[in-house]
This record gives sequence, C-alpha cells and structure tokens, in this order.
Amino acid sequence: MTPPIDRRAFLRGLAAGGAVAATGTLGVRALLGEPEPWDGGAFPTPGSARVAVLPASRYDRPLESTVLDGLVAIGANLAGKSVLLKPNLVEYDPGTAINTDPRLVAATVVALRRAGAASVVVGEGPGHRRDVQDVITRSGLLDALDEVNAPFVDLNADAVRRVPLRSRYTVLGELWLPETMLGAEVVISMPKMKTHHWAGVTLSLKNLFGCLPGRVYGWPKNVLHWAGIEGCILDIAGAVRPRYAIVDGIVGMEGNGPISGEPVRAGVLVFGDDPVATDVVAASLMGVDPGSVAYLVEAGRYLGQAERERIIDAGEDPAAFVRRFAPPPGAGAATASA
Amino acid sequence: MHAGTPSEAEPTALAALALDDPGARVWLIGEQRDDGGFGLFSGSVVNDAATSLAALALPPGPQQERALDRLETSRAEFHRSTTAIPIDPDAVGWSWTTGTASWTEPTARALLALRLLRPESSGIADAVALLRDREALGGGWNYGNRVVLDEVLPPFAQTTAVALMGLRGLDPGLERRGLRRLHTLWREESAGGLSVAAAAVALRVHGENDAAAEAEGVLEELVAESGLRGDGVALGWAALAASVGWEAWAA
Repeated sequence: MTPPIDRRAFLRGLAAGGAVAATGTLGVRALLGEPEPWDGGAFPTPGSARVAVLPASRYDRPLESTVLDGLVAIGANLAGKSVLLKPNLVEYDPGTAINTDPRLVAATVVALRRAGAASVVVGEGPGHRRDVQDVITRSGLLDALDEVNAPFVDLNADAVRRVPLRSRYTVLGELWLPETMLGAEVVISMPKMKTHHWAGVTLSLKNLFGCLPGRVYGWPKNVLHWAGIEGCILDIAGAVRPRYAIVDGIVGMEGNGPISGEPVRAGVLVFGDDPVATDVVAASLMGVDPGSVAYLVEAGRYLGQAERERIIDAGEDPAAFVRRFAPPPGAGAATASA
Repeated sequence: MHAGTPSEAEPTALAALALDDPGARVWLIGEQRDDGGFGLFSGSVVNDAATSLAALALPPGPQQERALDRLETSRAEFHRSTTAIPIDPDAVGWSWTTGTASWTEPTARALLALRLLRPESSGIADAVALLRDREALGGGWNYGNRVVLDEVLPPFAQTTAVALMGLRGLDPGLERRGLRRLHTLWREESAGGLSVAAAAVALRVHGENDAAAEAEGVLEELVAESGLRGDGVALGWAALAASVGWEAWAA
C-alpha cells in the first residue's frame, strides 16, 4: 500500500533541490507564506472520498453490470441528471492502448442510463488529430456509440464560452470551454490508465485537457504546455470540476505514454466520487507513489482528497491489484519544448 | 463552426474561396482586427491561425495587405531544441496561438498565403526550412514533431496535405516524398472527411489528378453518409475540393 502523502516533506524536497525544475512552482508559494492560488469560496475543504477498485480483465465480456456496481459502490447520484462522459481519445494507432476502450465507453453509457441519468453525451477534443471523424470511426468509438444510441460531441469544434478561472496556477486567467460540457449537470472523467512522459501519470485530472477546444488552443494544445502542464492540470480541473471519475485500467499503457508506450494488462476499473482521490488510488495501482506526482499533491490541498487514510475503499482491496508500470523515459526531468 | 452557431473566420474563409462568395468576404473584412489578423479568440490566449486563409480569401487591396503584414510579424516565439524534442532551433515557423512553438498546419497555411500573395517574403524560406526540419521519417508530416523522447512520430494525411499545398514548387524532394506518403495516408484515413478533403485539394494542386478524383469520390460518399458531422471546417475543405477555388494554388 502506498504510504500517505507527506506534503511537508514533499515541499521541502521541492524547495531543496532540482525537483523545482521538474515540477514548476507548485506548492512553493504556500511554503513561502504567499496567498493560496485558489478562491477559497469556490473550493470547500476536501472531505472523505469513496473509491472503488473492481476487477475487470476483458473488454469483450459484458461490462455494464461491473460499471453499474462501481457507480453504486461510490454512491453516484445520477438520477435525472444530464451527463457528459469524457473518455480519453488522442489518436488512433492499431494495436496500442492509447484510448479509453470504446466498448467500455458504450457499456458505461448503458450503466449511466440504468443508474437514472436523464441523458448521456460522450464528448472529447483530441489533442493531436484534427480529423475527429477519422479517429472516432477507425477507433470503433462511433460504432460502439451507435449501438447504444449515444451521441458524440467533438469538443474541439463545439460552441465555446469564456470562463474565468477560480485558481491561479498559470497566467491564463480564463479558459474557453465547450458549451456542451458547461451545460452538463455531471461531468465524468474517464481516462485510460497511462504513464505520461511530461506529467508522470495521466488519469482523470490530466484527461481534462481534452475538454479544451483545439480551435482555440490548437493541435496540439501547445499553449497549455507553455503555461506549465501541471499548473494547467490544476487550473483546468478547477474550472471543469468533474463530479466522478472512472479509470480504464483493464489494459493500460506503461513506458513512453501517452501515445508511444506499451499496453499493460492491469485488469482493473477504478471508480471514484472524487477525481483527486481516484487518481491517488489509480497511481498507487500503477506502482507510482502519488506523493511523487506534484500536481496530485497540490490538488489534494483544495480540489479533492489526496490523503490515503481519508479515502474509503469501496470496492476490492487495492493492494491486490498493484501492477508496477514501467516509468516513462526520463521521468520527471523532461521539458516540453515544441 | 456548426450550422446555427456564430460565424468564425476559418470556415468563412474556406467558404469564400470555395464558393467565391462576396458575402463571406464582406463578413471577413468586417471581422479584421486592427493588427490585420483574424481570430475569434482573444484574452489570455490569442489564436489568429485563420489569418492565412482569410488573406487568401480577401480581394487584393489594403485589407489583404494588412493580413499579410500581420502574418509576417506573428511568428512562433519558442524554438528551443532539447534532448527530448530535437529540432532545428533556427527554423522558425508559425504557431496556433501567439507566444508558442511552430507547428505544421499554421506554418503550411502561412507559406501558402505568402507564396501566392507575397512571393518576395523572407517568411517563405523560413517556412520551408521549418517543414524540412519537421518532415516525418520517410516523408509527410505529423502535427509538428518528428521525434519525441526517441520515438519517431508518424505522419498524418491532413497535416501532410496542408504542407504540400504550401510547398508547391519550392522543394521537389520534400514534395515528392510527401506526395508518396499522402497517396497511402489518405486511404488509411479515408474515414475522415477533413483528411480526404484536404488530400484531394493537395493532390489537385500537385497535378495528381487521377488520385485526386479517387479521393473526391470517397469524399462525396462521406458527405452523403455523414454530412461530415456538420463540421464547418471539414465542409469548407470539401467544398473547396469540389470547386475551382484551389486552382490558383497550383501556380
């Protein structure tokens, strides 16, 4: 089991050495006694969270009941709600584990309806490929959604609205966000369980980059990298505020993620009523110490629960599913330059 | 972007070019910023990557000149090479949003506009140098990186097509390799209207008319089946492929 995050030790490490270069200035502001970079009224102190780890070994078996079990385990309240389900769909490359599996996405649509959701829309704004029609068709997502009669919205091309940020980890100050996302009563982040060569891990918080429209931010959304990936993860998560998270860890990706890594059978689905807590548990399942992921540590201060002892295990014992993922090359030291 | 949503510069410029639509040009002129650029998005992030297409769509005159002036002064700002992403730091192209790095599509579109409308511009050589530096292994272009952390990235049909439109007549070797890849790529990515439409235009611009006709046939089916999901940019490129609006680009 991953030990609890020791924030003081983490900040001491940041301030003491080279970690500052890899993690930016997260946490250092607080260490220096400066005002917190978020609006206190917008972010109540995180309470306890519920996370359910459920075994799931294959995509070609019925998954609806497993997903429904996970939603029930975390006490998801979906009755009468409009839901935006946000999978991770970057680009299509046969034989890889880049994207949230379409069969799981479709099964989740069905499970959400069975849980009482009034409507479910699947939306994503791929970060590398501008031709979304090609990606959703060749990946199988379009057929999978057609089978369950669910609409897909290209968040890169959706109508947008300018939204002031409620946190200040970057200089962006505001974000252009898709109307479909802003209009949903419940946003569910549904990432693939992957390592990430710039951010360490990409889970339900990093997945939210796909909510930002490419026709504002480009292909790739390079301005977000230059504004600081980890700061952007925090600012975007604070603006989108996903209500639940479901991590596709049936087959994840290790090594040079998010697109060039190797598939790894982790055999789990991770459900959470708090995306920060969900990512803490999912990172632990990957053999990654959540305390080493700077944005997760910082998110635990205001955005969600990162203290392991305050995360209630609502499913199987996570310790039984730890599968150490190979780290990305140059983990933590690389800097996006182009 | 979609029918019923507010007009935007990129699909409107494509419509003006494809349909030779005076109303679209009037709208564009009305949207031109004081700095000559076109962009819906402003504030902390400024995206005026549509300026190239708008310049091409405008009639000759002061508005077009101002758009070209804006293009020439709005280069990418970051071009540092790292071990993770090795690039030629002297190759400076165009970015999607101000203050960021060079990428294939905005650079190729700027190259197209300058090649056709301001052939004396030093930006042409810079754009070609950028596309040479970012060429994928074996030809064609990704969104803008050749290698990330020792992984060779693959080319895409849409980005390769736009690069080839800009490059016409400027680097035979680069064009030949790109066209060879495009013949394969557009078929692999033929589920996507934007990719096929851009490929059809690029093939026409390079005189590859048999392949272009084949792509146009696939595109017609895609439009009939899906309406290209109502994406105004994809429909704009499809309309351009079906029109003669690209003919000047073949010069």
